[in-house]
Amino acid sequence: MIALLPWLVAAWLLGIGLYGIVTSRNYIHLIGCLNVVQSATYVILLCVGYRWNAGPPIFDPHPPGTPAVDPVVQALVLTDIVIGATVAALLLALAVQLHKRKGTLDPEALRPMR
Amino acid sequence: MTDLLVPLPIALPLAAAAILLIFAHVWSARAPDAIAIFVSLATAAVCGLLLPRAAQAPIAYWFGGWQPHHGLTLGIGFVIDQANALIALFIALLFSATFVFARGYMPEIGSHFQVLMLLMMTGMIGFCLTHDLFNMFVWFEVMSVAAFALTALRLEASALEGALNFTVVNGIGSYLMLAGIGLIYARAGALDFSAIARSVSKAGGDPVLTAAFCLVVIALLIKAAIVPFQFWLSDAHAVAPSPVSVIFSGAMVSVALYGAAKLYRQVFAGDPPVDFTMHHLMLGMGAASAVIGGLMCLWQRHLKRLLAFSTIAHIGIMLVGISLPSAAGTMGMMVYLFGHGLVKASAFMIAGILLATYGGVDEIGLRGLARPIWPAGIVLALAGLLLGGAPIGIMGEGASLIGSAASKPGDLWAFAAITFASALTGGAVLRAAGRIFLGLGRVPGDEALAPTEPEAERHRPFWPMFAPCAVLVAAALAGGGSVVRLVQHAAGSFVHPDAAGVLRGAASLARGDIGPLPPDLHPLVPWCGFALAIGLAAWDLSRQYLPHRLHESARMLAVPLRLTLDAAHNGIIGDYVTWMIAGLAVMAAVLALT
Repeated sequence: MIALLPWLVAAWLLGIGLYGIVTSRNYIHLIGCLNVVQSATYVILLCVGYRWNAGPPIFDPHPPGTPAVDPVVQALVLTDIVIGATVAALLLALAVQLHKRKGTLDPEALRPMR
Repeated sequence: MTDLLVPLPIALPLAAAAILLIFAHVWSARAPDAIAIFVSLATAAVCGLLLPRAAQAPIAYWFGGWQPHHGLTLGIGFVIDQANALIALFIALLFSATFVFARGYMPEIGSHFQVLMLLMMTGMIGFCLTHDLFNMFVWFEVMSVAAFALTALRLEASALEGALNFTVVNGIGSYLMLAGIGLIYARAGALDFSAIARSVSKAGGDPVLTAAFCLVVIALLIKAAIVPFQFWLSDAHAVAPSPVSVIFSGAMVSVALYGAAKLYRQVFAGDPPVDFTMHHLMLGMGAASAVIGGLMCLWQRHLKRLLAFSTIAHIGIMLVGISLPSAAGTMGMMVYLFGHGLVKASAFMIAGILLATYGGVDEIGLRGLARPIWPAGIVLALAGLLLGGAPIGIMGEGASLIGSAASKPGDLWAFAAITFASALTGGAVLRAAGRIFLGLGRVPGDEALAPTEPEAERHRPFWPMFAPCAVLVAAALAGGGSVVRLVQHAAGSFVHPDAAGVLRGAASLARGDIGPLPPDLHPLVPWCGFALAIGLAAWDLSRQYLPHRLHESARMLAVPLRLTLDAAHNGIIGDYVTWMIAGLAVMAAVLALT
């Protein structure tokens, strides 16, 4: 049951984030929801690399060979955080510019040229 | 020597982008253009040097010397086989042409345009060369983030809205991809393509790996704008600066599809549910993209939006090529990728020339205005003929390969769909060329008023803009035979990579063979679709001479379909994401039930 919990949390985060994006009426809120979707990937990655009864993958006080969690996924999560920050910053900048020009951030009031 | 060359296709543009950003305010305004052209040509030269070496045997390169030991892969590798080298060369050449076309575009923002374009080129080339799934994701993001920023570069409201939709839809896609990568790592314990491929063949239909394939491939299909994930494309391509649209349509979407082909052929080949999904669901999605893109294309009057829908149609045709069981389909997709890239790039350059010269791309608003720049009209008409399925040049060769792979009795419907779709897009482009450059097809009354907001790009001299697009279309016309020879050679090692060779880190990959090609189509078949394209263009351009009632009743017949499709492309992000979730659910269901 405990082993299943992180997967359920990840699925929940993915679902609730997508629900938020679909129903959002404000771009700032929508960008927040996108970050919730991204949090699901953090949980999946950390859960994949977790080992029970193991320490951090730092072997300074311990001898090499001590059980440790998988450092590869932690590197992946760090990269993921950087990418997420880039995308969120870019999106927020776009939203600020759009608000300056249109005075609203409601996706239904704003529609790209058709 | 080879080892020195391998990192250069990404190191050169990455370093140049950084240097440009640091020193741009010191140098004159012309320097960034010159440096960007020089660096993209140098990158192309490096790829050109790698191509013959990769043709002898695929080059495996491990960054930092982290070679695999005893079957354990820790390092991140590039594997340059002939197909990868060809695609990288194509990307670098297309960027070179685009930099020449864009000379003097937006000097007021300094070097940012060139910096972002160089970053996008780095991302695309890295995406093609890498042999590590997470590394592929990182390059995918480099390419995407640069693309998001480039879409919004003009900072007009419509550009910002298009960029927001583009970013949100593709952002969700990349998080799905990352979740899929996590699942793959959970099961395979590795991220190297060959190591994953071994786990896949050992596990045989493992549900976790199949779910991971679903997530990763959907991210690539979102980028490639396959129905029902295609909505962002028309919003973004229509508002992005013209040089950026050139790259988006010419290379970005098809490179994502190339990634999907690689994932399927080199990592998940032989997995029963994946095979079934490719040959049935994906074939259907490709055909649907082709027809829906073609129909929407025919109904547009904004030239860039018209070309954007035509891209959706042709990407659908390429997906049909990948999904067919025959390796000739995959080979046809690669040939078609080059041909379509060249043709569509030159068509978008013509749209850019119209924007810079006449301050608009509304087909009806520009009727007959562009007569003075008639050479551009010739190029646009040639592009229309090639898009319409004329069996000449690179596109014609690719279409005939995909067609012959689809000419089995069970797949004939897909063949009919792609022929019909290319006729639709060719007809639409020919019609636009006839109206804008010849003044044909007078439109009565209020329909002539442009519904779109006025837009303009910085005026630049005609000939420097025209030269690259003439070169591209000439290459698309003349290059058929040589591209087919190169790709036929490349497709063997693409379809049957020898995983063991890469693992040993040695350049000893056996060259595969794609087997005998299916028989060619009857020579008259491609001309039928082509005749339909000419007929569609002639029908609309001659409507002032046709009986009004005939034309009106034909129009009324199409109205319900047109309203339905128009209503789906409504520009609301929530609806786009709903379509995406529906597509995800259908694909997951098909994968789970087989």
